[in-house]
Amino acid sequence: MIDLTFRNMIETVPSDKRGLLSEKLTDVLLSTKNDEKMPSELANAILYHWQRNLLLVEQGLATLLEAASLLEPEKTTKVLTELSLTEIAERVEQASAKTEK
Amino acid sequence: MVKFGIEFVPKESYWKILYYAIQAERGGFNNLWITDHFNNRNVYVTLTTAAIYTNKITFGPGVTNPYLVNPVITAQAVATLNELAPGRVVLGIGAGDKTTLDSVGVEMQKPLTAIQEAIEIVTKLINGETVAYKGEVFKTAGAKFLFKPKGKIPIYVGAQGPKMLALAGKIGDGVLINACHPKDVEYAVSCVREGVKEAGKNYDEVDVTAYTSFSVHEDIKKANKAAVPVVAFIAAGSPPQILERHGINVKKAEEIKEALKVNDWGKAFSGVTPEMISAFSVCGTPDMCIERISELLKSGISQFVVGSPISANVRDGINLISEKIIPHFKK
Repeated sequence: MIDLTFRNMIETVPSDKRGLLSEKLTDVLLSTKNDEKMPSELANAILYHWQRNLLLVEQGLATLLEAASLLEPEKTTKVLTELSLTEIAERVEQASAKTEK
Repeated sequence: MVKFGIEFVPKESYWKILYYAIQAERGGFNNLWITDHFNNRNVYVTLTTAAIYTNKITFGPGVTNPYLVNPVITAQAVATLNELAPGRVVLGIGAGDKTTLDSVGVEMQKPLTAIQEAIEIVTKLINGETVAYKGEVFKTAGAKFLFKPKGKIPIYVGAQGPKMLALAGKIGDGVLINACHPKDVEYAVSCVREGVKEAGKNYDEVDVTAYTSFSVHEDIKKANKAAVPVVAFIAAGSPPQILERHGINVKKAEEIKEALKVNDWGKAFSGVTPEMISAFSVCGTPDMCIERISELLKSGISQFVVGSPISANVRDGINLISEKIIPHFKK
């Protein structure tokens, strides 16, 4: 099950930024060395959406954000900040800090 | 028209390989090849997921070997895959690499005979026959599947030496030539042609494939940098006659080999010369790669396989090939 928190975060992303966000989060995931942190359920959800070319829509983008936050929280925060999505960046940072505790 | 294939090594996570496989299929690649080494993730599990996530790309092991995987199991695996993705499955089979076989204590016994026998057994089993086979390397006593395999599965033989190349031309539906330079490919193709002629086939019945180390980038320096580690290993493992064919200093290759043995990557990689990159990879900007592929096509290949490293960034590399290289050859 995809975390609804991430879906809610993605709903706040302006549509003109979604394409770039999807591209950058995909790059973060494909270049990560933290593969072992990827839950297979989430990986399969990403592939399901990629197969159907749906990584730009809310549900697909949410899977990317959730996975990127898990595997590469710092890089994800940086991407979000670069796109001026500061509120989401803060929420990802907080969630990451909680997970570390 | 030339076909384009792409190779992935399942040392990578399954989700990364599948992401790239879907991307490659969309980008116009015809074939997906997954390497088979016991120390990576399993080739058939990877291919099964590829079958599920793709729709039209042809795929298969590139390549398995009959020493670690008995031919009856190989036949079973590809026949089952062909039920999942009818008409999209091919089998790549070769003698394997000695280092890997040595590491599990398996002898590479009579490679030419082993490949010939393995292909006979696989072909009979996927044709639904009962196989009582007394070969020099493999024996079966009435082996038969309890299910009915469907359809034809083309068999590609991975080959490097002249005898294996000729055998591949003789008995294979395709040949996978591990070479990147026109000089090497021309020579390999001449050997394949001998086998094809001996079998009384037409050359164009066989899908002759250059299975290359490939590195593309808009910035030549970045393309070279990505190619260096792969080239270092190839140069270190190449016999002197191959090195001399390309004007490569044998002593320099020997120094790389010694550095690799002690994991001195810095020394090994810094020893790679532009001549080595040119001999053992297809590397450069998209235009440079197009030029090299065009030269290889003149040698008589019908499929070009993009193998590791592909690019410093694989995703960007697949996009470059799909947008700038494949369209050039599909005009």
